Amino acid sequence: MIDSLYDTAGGKDIVVVALYCDFLAQQKQTTTSMLGAILKQLAVIQGIPEYMQRAFQKSKIWFDGQGLRLPDLVKIMKKAVTARPRVFICIDGLDESTPKHRRELLKSLREIIRVSPNTRLFLTGRPHVRGEIMKCFGNVVQIPISPTPDDIRSYLEKRLESDTDPDAMDDGLRADIMRVIPEKVSEM
Amino acid sequence: MSSERQRVTGDFNPFNLLTNYDNIVDFGTTVDPWWREFLPWLSQLEPQQRHQGVRTSRLNGIGNWVLETKGFRKWSGAEDGCAEQVLFCEGNPGVGKTYLR
Repeated sequence: MIDSLYDTAGGKDIVVVALYCDFLAQQKQTTTSMLGAILKQLAVIQGIPEYMQRAFQKSKIWFDGQGLRLPDLVKIMKKAVTARPRVFICIDGLDESTPKHRRELLKSLREIIRVSPNTRLFLTGRPHVRGEIMKCFGNVVQIPISPTPDDIRSYLEKRLESDTDPDAMDDGLRADIMRVIPEKVSEM
Repeated sequence: MSSERQRVTGDFNPFNLLTNYDNIVDFGTTVDPWWREFLPWLSQLEPQQRHQGVRTSRLNGIGNWVLETKGFRKWSGAEDGCAEQVLFCEGNPGVGKTYLR
């Protein structure tokens, strides 16, 4: 999705930043580390403005290099997104973060996009987080994702090409696979 | 302190940039050592690594229909101040949300 946004929206004026939530990394993925990872991507794109350098220096001198606190991080991110004509923030697998971090993350993102009407948020997750997202943002475009029969056929073709035991395959079996699996999966 | 730390390359995809910072030796460029301290301070997470993995294992063309939906076009469209700033793709585990191209 990230790469498509670059291809379709094109040009230097857009920035796409992204984050993958990971169930196995819940300990490390706190609200501040997740937002920080997004800010890091904005920072390498636009260079580090003076206010960010100052925050860093201050933390080194006074707080033993400790990272930014959430309210400061949100404040800095607001400045960073409004400095660009268009920012897409993509977050994959929201259901994989803990409910507490997710709640804080969504709330912070809401504050951030509110000050920058050109900023867009792309979220993915299992259906059970839909309620939280709707409640937080109100106006949301929803797209249910399920693979189309064509998607499944492309995938099968690819897998069959890289079959490690090609001798066990014949045309009849191949035809059956290509017919039955897309049908069955689409019915799910 | 210099007023602003400049970007290093002309690339505008942050994932490419951050990957380049990781493999700086391969690229033969010198990066201001200040960045090496600053970036991990912002966050220890490195989503660019996961992105590289997704990039190499996804298949072209799969899920492209999402880009053609009315909802997606409206959301990504050029009209500023469009009412919907948020797009949510929902699906059960394994349907391919991560691998949308």
